[in-house]
Amino acid sequence: MSADLNTPAHPTDAPEAPNRTSVPTPREPDSPATLAAPAAVAHASDRGARIAAVAIALAWHVAIALPAVLSARAEFAAPAVVLGAWILVAVTGAVAGVRLLQGSPLPPWPLAGLLLVVDAAVFAAAGERQLFTAANWVWGTLGWFFVLAVWGRRVVGLIALLSTHALIALVAVLVHGPDPADVARYVMYVYGTFSLPVAVFVGSTVIVGLARERAAVSVAGHAMAAERDAAERGLRERRDRLALVSSAAGRVLGDLAGGQADPDDPEVQRRCMLAAARLRRLIAESDDVPDPLLHELRAAADLAERNGLPIDLVTIGTPPPLPVEVRRRLADPLTGTLADAREWARLTVVSGPDEVVVSLVTPDREGPESTGPPPGEHDDGPVQYLYERDGNIRWAQTRWRR
Amino acid sequence: MGADPVAAVTGDRPVGVAIVDDHPVVVEGVRAWLATEPRLTVLATGDDPDAVLRAAPHADVILLDLRLHGRMALDKLAELSAAGRRVVVYSEHTDPQTMLAALDAGAVAFLAKHEGREHCVETVLAAASDRPYVPPALAGAMVGDPRPDRPMLSDKEREALLLWFQSMSKASVARRMQISEHTVKQYVDRARIKYTRAGRPAATKAALLARAIEDGLVRPEEIGIYRSQATHDRPTP
Repeated sequence: MSADLNTPAHPTDAPEAPNRTSVPTPREPDSPATLAAPAAVAHASDRGARIAAVAIALAWHVAIALPAVLSARAEFAAPAVVLGAWILVAVTGAVAGVRLLQGSPLPPWPLAGLLLVVDAAVFAAAGERQLFTAANWVWGTLGWFFVLAVWGRRVVGLIALLSTHALIALVAVLVHGPDPADVARYVMYVYGTFSLPVAVFVGSTVIVGLARERAAVSVAGHAMAAERDAAERGLRERRDRLALVSSAAGRVLGDLAGGQADPDDPEVQRRCMLAAARLRRLIAESDDVPDPLLHELRAAADLAERNGLPIDLVTIGTPPPLPVEVRRRLADPLTGTLADAREWARLTVVSGPDEVVVSLVTPDREGPESTGPPPGEHDDGPVQYLYERDGNIRWAQTRWRR
Repeated sequence: MGADPVAAVTGDRPVGVAIVDDHPVVVEGVRAWLATEPRLTVLATGDDPDAVLRAAPHADVILLDLRLHGRMALDKLAELSAAGRRVVVYSEHTDPQTMLAALDAGAVAFLAKHEGREHCVETVLAAASDRPYVPPALAGAMVGDPRPDRPMLSDKEREALLLWFQSMSKASVARRMQISEHTVKQYVDRARIKYTRAGRPAATKAALLARAIEDGLVRPEEIGIYRSQATHDRPTP
């Protein structure tokens, strides 16, 4: 917080020629970064789970399925089909994994369809003797590729795919004329192929959700703390200024009551005007957490007032969050003009969701133009600047329209 | 006529004013302001609206401090307005919500305490004849009205209100808008008349509206239906 707001300053220790104020702003508009934080945390968490899923699928396919297929090659009903299917799934799975990690997954249902076709073909080609061995690799591997195919979707999709897989296996078992041991094995295998992929799938979803929630809670907590800090700072500032105003008003009232000050004395009238203007401004401050634009203008008004200029600052509405650049263009031309103002000044801010108009009116007087931009209309991007003097008043206005 | 406070003040009789404020120093100050205007006479003062009105039952205009003994007197304001009393609210509470709430409750005008003698006299005189007077602070509240059901103002009316609020000089507004001062006043007053439709009905609002129609400030159809706004944005020169 700037020192010129916190320390009750006496006119004599005010800077000589204030024309620009650079005041740290108490609150920046919610940046997209703050709002996106929970999503970013969730994304990071999800990425970890994706890497794990891709690694499991490919490692299982290569390290467990491949040696079994190669060693049992001669015993398949149609070895070429089983091996070809393995290669097809290896290539497709690798592509799907890479695309998933890049954030642009392959279309899920065509991929799932291909995997189911491979499933049926391998069951048919494996033959009765290899039905329940590791060489029938679709048992162990395919569930993980299903997980990759439907990553990020609802779990029912995965369950449907695994159920279809179980159905294909059941058909294969029944075709080969099952004995009770085969049925028991079948049940065991189905349980095995279901449980792990579903657990990983659901677990990762839950973890991502929790991470998102935790991050959101933490963001909300920080926002609340920041808001509270700003409010406390605002309150402190206001208290300090109340002390300053009270002492100034108290002194002049005391002098008047004690007869040391003459109400007809222009200097006394001036002191009264200053004290009244300060009091009015203090009463008008109703915002708990000052808006950055109003904060800047208020600081400029304080500065001008310390140089002895009675100034009214009237604000209507609260400005929407504005980019720093727009805020600067709204405030700077007026603070420049304010530095040259004499006698009195009226600074007004009217804000709506789509428009902010700031105006400074001071009495016109002989002499050079103010240090602001030259008279006339200027369009500075989305901010229009207008300055004119008509013999009575000097009128500077900046206007932002969405 | 005297028994009917809503009847417009006519003739040479000075306008009777009652002042309700709980700060004697403010009462004295306002009395001094009004004393400079021969068309005005203060009939009664005090800090209790009922007592003041018993003392001056025929007062044409009541100047009411909105905050009496620490309470906002909006209910009292609505009651008086419904009964046809022309109440000019004056207050140091110049936040837009308070001002608009006072208009909604039926106040003929709202005056900020710091707006000074000239505005005070003008406002009371206008109120006595059921004519609108919009001091700059009230213009600001109207132009910044954020309520979704606010009256629809034309672009010119909004601009005139905004510039009047900013500069406090109708001459400067006229120069800026390149129209006559009279037209500036018409835009501002028409905006005010549109506010007679906001909030609950009150006899004072009806009186303002009737007088505005009589004066040719607005046409009845402009007030009744707002959809034809743009085409009616033509005040007499």
